[in-house]
Amino acid sequence: MPPDSNSNIQSDRIITLKAAVLEAMVEEMESDENVILIGEDVGAAGGVFKQTEGLFENFGTGRVIDTPISESAIFGLSVGAAMAGSRPIIEVMFGDFLTLVMDQLVNQAAKVHYMSAGGFNVPLVLRTGIGIGGNLGPQHSQSLHSWLAHIPGLKVVMPSSANDAKGLFKAAVRDNNPVIFMEDRMIYNLVEHVPTGEHVIPLGSAAVKRKGVEITIFAISRAVHTALAAAEILLEEENISTEVVDLRTLAPLDIKTIISSVNKTGRALVLDGGHQSFGITGEIAATIGELTFDYLDAPVMRLAAPDIPVPYGPSLESMMVPSVDQVVAKVLTMFGGSV
Amino acid sequence: MTMAPKLNKAKSIELYRDMVTIRTFEEEVRKMFSAGLAPGLVHLYSGQEAVGVGTCAVLSADDYIASHHRGHGHCIAKGGDITRLFAEIIGRRPGYSLGRGGSMHIHDPETGNLGTNGIVGGSVPLATGAALSAKLRGTGQVAVSFFGDGVLNQGILFESMNMAALWSLPVVFVCENNGYGEFTEIDDVTAGRPYSKRGEAFDIPSGKYDGMDVLVVFDAVSKAVERARKGDGPSFLIFDTYRYSGHSVGDKQEYKDEKERQLWESRDPIQKMAKAMADMKLASKRDLEKMDEEISATVVAAAKEARKMPAPGADDLTRHIYAP
Amino acid sequence: MTNNLNMAQNLAILDRMLLIRRFEEMLIDLDQDHDFGHYHLYIGEEATGATVVESLRPTDLLLTTWRNHGHLLARSADPGRMVAEILGRVDGYNKGRGGTLHLTVREAGFLSTSGLVGGAVGLAAGAGFALKQAGEGNICVVFFGDGSLEEGVVFEAMNLASLWSLPVLFMCENNNSGAISAQEGGFPSSEIAASQISDIPKSLNIKSKLVDGADVAAVHAVVTEAVSNIRSGNGPVFIEAYSERWPGSRPLWPEQATGVTQLEAAWDQTVITGEHADWVRKFDPIIRFIRSQLEAGLFSKDELFDRDRKIQNQVIEARAFGEASALPDPQSALDGVFAA
Repeated sequence: MPPDSNSNIQSDRIITLKAAVLEAMVEEMESDENVILIGEDVGAAGGVFKQTEGLFENFGTGRVIDTPISESAIFGLSVGAAMAGSRPIIEVMFGDFLTLVMDQLVNQAAKVHYMSAGGFNVPLVLRTGIGIGGNLGPQHSQSLHSWLAHIPGLKVVMPSSANDAKGLFKAAVRDNNPVIFMEDRMIYNLVEHVPTGEHVIPLGSAAVKRKGVEITIFAISRAVHTALAAAEILLEEENISTEVVDLRTLAPLDIKTIISSVNKTGRALVLDGGHQSFGITGEIAATIGELTFDYLDAPVMRLAAPDIPVPYGPSLESMMVPSVDQVVAKVLTMFGGSV
Repeated sequence: MTMAPKLNKAKSIELYRDMVTIRTFEEEVRKMFSAGLAPGLVHLYSGQEAVGVGTCAVLSADDYIASHHRGHGHCIAKGGDITRLFAEIIGRRPGYSLGRGGSMHIHDPETGNLGTNGIVGGSVPLATGAALSAKLRGTGQVAVSFFGDGVLNQGILFESMNMAALWSLPVVFVCENNGYGEFTEIDDVTAGRPYSKRGEAFDIPSGKYDGMDVLVVFDAVSKAVERARKGDGPSFLIFDTYRYSGHSVGDKQEYKDEKERQLWESRDPIQKMAKAMADMKLASKRDLEKMDEEISATVVAAAKEARKMPAPGADDLTRHIYAP
Repeated sequence: MTNNLNMAQNLAILDRMLLIRRFEEMLIDLDQDHDFGHYHLYIGEEATGATVVESLRPTDLLLTTWRNHGHLLARSADPGRMVAEILGRVDGYNKGRGGTLHLTVREAGFLSTSGLVGGAVGLAAGAGFALKQAGEGNICVVFFGDGSLEEGVVFEAMNLASLWSLPVLFMCENNNSGAISAQEGGFPSSEIAASQISDIPKSLNIKSKLVDGADVAAVHAVVTEAVSNIRSGNGPVFIEAYSERWPGSRPLWPEQATGVTQLEAAWDQTVITGEHADWVRKFDPIIRFIRSQLEAGLFSKDELFDRDRKIQNQVIEARAFGEASALPDPQSALDGVFAA
């Protein structure tokens, strides 16, 4: 069944995450004529999830470009355009298709500024949708953020809410580096109050979404909501005070906020929607261990998707997403007998 | 910028000089490599000078080129500083990448050079994108994508040509067919003849030319650039040429035969141009010899200067990961 | 176009097409009840799939895309197990792991179905390579759409197939040609600069043919010749079979735009109504086939309805089978990441 086609802009400034990104895009395109949007079905069709609705009508073929199905060259072309003065926003329809842009992203975009000793910038935003839950199967459900965060020269941003999404997207467009902006489609319709106008959130800044003193849950994107729900239960039922930190940007990581939170709580659980092994949870756990071991009252624990291709069927797909109950259970194990 | 350069005496001399500069430069690079000064690999352009020079001579400073691993010739033809080029190749700090990139990572924004590149075909979309940007900004700039015959089988060429044709982008696809993809003969791995049909499939004006004759190159590229500037879109030009050296320095070239080598050397682009200039009475033999000597002195001096330059420091290593 | 197929073949093709049509129609209804995510229907393209398989051996290999139901059913995949897979049930062909996008029926010779545009074409060159090594005269058929010609990997795969004379039949089903399909805003739209899609394989020295994908006899003639050529070791062939896109496939989610097919439309104009009457009248391959075969006396109207009834029952049973199949145990998702 098609998802609800909500109207993108709602009144009273409570808007969806999807609408917030669209708003940011419109504002940035209005203020800088070098900003262009390029991708498959982004123009005339308004995006396969209607995420770019109205842009084509608003800005025309000179600014909004529909492309053939050629991810590799589309992205490479955008790198070249960025080097020549444009500021492209490239939409790659599904995060899984990043495999097709890998060479241009990793070997070109990430390295040009360094290799040219600052001679060229590559100001672009690669925007893509991720998200497990639509029964889309293994080739349409992956999030490769760990791969990308691993590459020097790239920035990786994953908002969890509408307010953050708008602020971070504006920052991403203005950033003079290649930024990968990944939105989980499962939270597209989450609403939040979003300010109008110059609402910009710097990249590389995490945010404490819930204050607590006994354990910190670090999460990003959709997992933040799981963490918040779990925190509520932990307080109500176990009297455990949980701090939830939304990382917001993976690369560069806001290590300062991470460490200061762990120094306060003494326990850390890292949540991720990507696979557990060789992913961001390991990076954060290692960082905490190296930098603030003395403050830890328990080993840093992780909860992420199992190391399997995302299966399609509804009963199987649910295995992939850490649930609120699983988070609660994991936290309890970290308190051993001290609950 | 939009004035098409004429092939007058000054231009002819420029063509000759640039080719000689490249030939001399590459000889110095070979020496540096043999002396252990150039880390990694170097891929020499000797023999192919007519293509790079004939092409860049049509372009303005603010037109774009994107190059590849055999790119020193392009950098020089597009106006790069030969001392800084030497410095980069031997890993010294005044080089184009602070000495961190080497031969395959030379970018020169001031001459519109989007960079030499280590990925076969990797620079093709960069040139195509620069052309897109130029078109959107309405500047009249054009972009040239240099690539080798190996790229004829790369999907990214195909995707880029399709979009260039679809959107009438001001890009010229220049294929330097030197007959070999590393150690493999290109004819053995490429289906479809003639190769120009790959461009024609997208209704792109395409052709094959003698890449050893700088005047032929200049003429073909002039027409293509004019098309591009007028808004008539891309062209796909294949220049048949030859590399005297191996794939990289150190390659023993056992896959080439002597007769083939002699045949191509008899068509040497520099000698050909020298003869043409003599025939057109643009320069005497003595004039040319004098030019050769001057160039040699300049290039050798630049190489000497580069050898004295310092290596990058530890701090240089972590600079420019991100733009400010 | 004279029909060069015998009676048995024509009837087999008819049955395949009816099965595909009724199956796909059932899925639209099934989706209302179960909401199984995104899916793609073969309605309007049945004539191609149903006819191509007529020229193949059981030992030939095939690859297809997310629009695979027609190809699978044409090769006698079990519709019940297909429904089960589409619903993510344990009796599905992929044990619920693949769904409609990745339905794989190994016993029918299918190697994989790709969710990525052009994704199967590279694999097809490889299958062709292996088949050539095996030397038994088997071929590989890869189905893909017009959009695939925009992906670089397809070009690379075709270059290799041509270079090494691999036994591959590139079946390009272009459902984007024609006046109705070129509507603004319909997606995805084909964005290719080539004036003829076949100019691309031709530039790689691959023999290419164009055929009306809705014309059973024409498809059979072209495919039979191509397959024979390929089996003789003459290298790959590229066939572009064009069709007028079914209006129900134009939005992102399939819609029952032309109504449940009424076979009488082949002889009774009055039943063709609605916004898309033109498509039914002129482009529906099943209606076209029935019209021509009635004339040729292949079957009577009664016999036709009889066959259709049997097939509709088959589809009803398939649906029941699928719905009755259990959901797999979630823990089973952890198995089978690696081969033993």
